[in-house]
Amino acid sequence: MPAFDVQQFRQQFAFFQQQPDWVYLDNAATMHKPQVVIDAVTQFYQQYNSNVHRGAHQLSQQATALFEQARNTVASYINAPHLHEVIFCSGATAALNQIAFGLMHTVLQPGDRILLTQLEHHANIVPWQLHCQRFGVIIDVVPLTPDHQLDMLAYQQLLQLKPKVVSFSHISNVLGHIQQVAEMVALAKAADAITVVDGAQGIVYQQPDMQQLDCDFYVFSGHKLYGPTGIGVLYGKTAQLARLTPIFAGGEMIDTVSFVNTTFNKLPFRLEAGTPNIAGAIGLSAAIDWLQKSNNQQIIQHKSLLLKEFYNGLTAIKGIDILSSSVHNAGIVALNVDSEHPADVAELLNQQKIAVRSGQHCAMPLFSYLARPGAIRCSFAAYNTLDDVNRCLLALEQAVEILTA
Amino acid sequence: MTLEQLLADTKPALLDIQQRDLTEIAQAKDWQAKYRVLMQLGKKLPAIPEKMKQPELLVKGCESRAWLLHYHDKATDKHYFVLDSEARIVKGLMAIMLCLVNGMTTAELCKFDLWHKFDQLALKPYLSQSRGNGLLAMAERIKACCPAK
Ligand SMILES: Cc1ncc(COP(=O)(O)O)c(C=O)c1O
Repeated sequence: MPAFDVQQFRQQFAFFQQQPDWVYLDNAATMHKPQVVIDAVTQFYQQYNSNVHRGAHQLSQQATALFEQARNTVASYINAPHLHEVIFCSGATAALNQIAFGLMHTVLQPGDRILLTQLEHHANIVPWQLHCQRFGVIIDVVPLTPDHQLDMLAYQQLLQLKPKVVSFSHISNVLGHIQQVAEMVALAKAADAITVVDGAQGIVYQQPDMQQLDCDFYVFSGHKLYGPTGIGVLYGKTAQLARLTPIFAGGEMIDTVSFVNTTFNKLPFRLEAGTPNIAGAIGLSAAIDWLQKSNNQQIIQHKSLLLKEFYNGLTAIKGIDILSSSVHNAGIVALNVDSEHPADVAELLNQQKIAVRSGQHCAMPLFSYLARPGAIRCSFAAYNTLDDVNRCLLALEQAVEILTA
Repeated sequence: MTLEQLLADTKPALLDIQQRDLTEIAQAKDWQAKYRVLMQLGKKLPAIPEKMKQPELLVKGCESRAWLLHYHDKATDKHYFVLDSEARIVKGLMAIMLCLVNGMTTAELCKFDLWHKFDQLALKPYLSQSRGNGLLAMAERIKACCPAK
């Protein structure tokens, strides 16, 4: 396999020309957008802007066609069997809220159980908690092993409690660990549970195949896949989507309305209340089309090379506490400088124009389990270079030197 | 540790910071040199015992947790402060801010333009936005110690 041409890839991002001094390692928070995505969004507003599914005029029909084409692009990217199984929403958070809210009462009854894991993002904890409290549904949590991987044995034991829903992340946004999603879905299905996969970090690592994975729901955000912010996808199997009570109502999602009764439109519109993020969907679709021109195996290899260099460099710096494992890692490394607060380390990196995130990364239960006040997180993307890795390592060394002076 | 002890230990430390470290920071040539001094400031100050870190002492708006204790000596009408933070940079910056006002009378504190004075130390280019916001919150919290007229 020929090596990935990172320079050619990176050149397509105007951001790096605008900010040549910065090393951007906050990709797990949001990614940069290639020019084609920015152009697609601009072009929509300049040439086609109209509302969708409602105008009598041709402009609206054009906008509708572009929007529906975007749905088509997403559906084929994730290999969804049907177009109406791709619901556009504002992002992973919105999608998880829709699922948690939507399953209460229709599926989840008082006394039922659901199963989450210790390393979930708050977006995959709090929506459940909110509704479970009101509905008297019990939440169980899969613990971690000492090397911070999900405890698969405990997972299987907890499945014996017959949870009605199992919801977990494809890739941990803090540790970068890749979960054994296929196996976890299969086990949950064997226990008759509805399966929800939070693909917020997974989507950019690997093209997920809905028919192969066979989960009931898979959610992700466009902005973590080179796309715009404010657009995301809720994929669900038709039968499961049909069971969701819409969290939002109004607009195209409605069929007929009287003050006595309202009937709802069919999928996907039933779950897309109000004017959707049309430009966002078009931008996301442009991102997917563009990404498919690159070879993902080459990208994975490139990222694992960056990761290897980074881990090698880290072991040479004294007093670094690495929380992420280097195996089954998608390119995210959480770490601390021994007995120093992550905010201090991040600030010293910021002084050197290294962009990382610090804190608890919307995963407080994970950090109480890890017994750390937080961590800094270096997350790598395909456009990062070996030079980025080395500059980050040098900056970390400098930070440690100042902190321990 | 009692409040009296904390105050007694903090007072000379803040004075020392004002007399020595502020000049050193001002004269430091690059960010590394400035941060090296900054990192040492917190070490000069006593830590607030866990038991005393009541939620109402938390200064909101900081990424790391920071606590500010205020004491008004009614007999002399002077205001004194004790501070702590999980993060060393925040603690150092808080110390710099507090050494400008520690021991002021109510009248002095009320008319003192804290943010402007802090600005004059020319630390701004060396602070990130979020750190700046945290400090602004701190400045407001200190000014709020002025009794309303
Ligand atoms: C694992 C995981 N789930 C959910 C989310 C929420 O994504 P968004 O903020 O785009 O809705 C994130 C984002 O950080 C994430 O990493």
